[in-house]
Amino acid sequence: MRNILLIGLALLALVACTGESSPPLVASNVVVTEPLPGRMMSAAYLSLTNNSNDAILINRVSSPDFGAVELHESLLEDGVAKMRPVDSLVIAPGATVALQQGGLHLMLMHKKTDVDTVSLNFYEDTTLLLSLEAQISRRNE
Amino acid sequence: MNPRHVLIALLLGGALAAGIFAALKSGTPAEPRSATVLPAGSDLPDFSLLDQRGAPVDADSFRGQWDLVFFGFTHCPDICPTTLQTLANVRRELIESEADVVPRIVLVSVDPERDTPEILDRYVSYFGPDNLGITGDLEQLKRLTSGLGIYFEKVNIVDDSYGVDHSAAVLVVDPDGKFVALFSAPHTLESYLHDLPIIAARR
Repeated sequence: MRNILLIGLALLALVACTGESSPPLVASNVVVTEPLPGRMMSAAYLSLTNNSNDAILINRVSSPDFGAVELHESLLEDGVAKMRPVDSLVIAPGATVALQQGGLHLMLMHKKTDVDTVSLNFYEDTTLLLSLEAQISRRNE
Repeated sequence: MNPRHVLIALLLGGALAAGIFAALKSGTPAEPRSATVLPAGSDLPDFSLLDQRGAPVDADSFRGQWDLVFFGFTHCPDICPTTLQTLANVRRELIESEADVVPRIVLVSVDPERDTPEILDRYVSYFGPDNLGITGDLEQLKRLTSGLGIYFEKVNIVDDSYGVDHSAAVLVVDPDGKFVALFSAPHTLESYLHDLPIIAARR
């Protein structure tokens, strides 16, 4: 009985530890398209999940591989394709926001490096929330 | 009622329903699911622009093959490459299935200020070696777009940077150089594979 109790406590401690170390902001389904020939820009698509109990604000994204990274949204209004800059993204506790083709996306401009992997850093003001590395993929692969 | 009579009535009723269905099916031509077809088609307006090699392009350049014509620009990172990739996939599927109609893909730049023939050449070639890119004088471009009901406008101008809002439709031009159908966004491979043979059969 005592052993079972000890194992139970150990498991509880493990769960607690795992809970504490779980990152609040997690990225998945990351796709960075290769810059088209003659263009030094590209797009990045991904899902961002807020695992914390507080809303997460993202108002800056940067990459050492690109001169500028902007959050944009593609819109289709009355048959007209539009693209608008988006200042910030708020992700509610437990929510996932998808950046995908034809919707929200990151526009990566002025590619500086000739590498196959891109680093992306997500911030609230100067606080780094998430860093990730993604392989550049050919379109439609 | 005699059960045998009920059975005969049911059989006769079923046969009648099947007959009506068959008659309707054979008498009704297939309809496009997504495309809007212009029954008479319309001639392209007079215009004079350049292709991606700097050679002149006018309405006559659209005679002799089927064309899928999209209006976009190379600084557009999301909608334009996604649409061109969809059209490239349509063309690849049609070639692989040995379809009768395999349209050429045409990108008309709505940003001639930045899209020189050289830039357009590298861009359209990425989506296939047989694609046509069109750019050139802004006034000539407006003659083409306004004649086809295509809208575009420069927006979000900050220093040297700007975007271009533009109609997202893809126009179908037949081998007589007539604008005969229009696909509205969002564009899917399935809608083109279904509708293109129907549009071609109506010509």
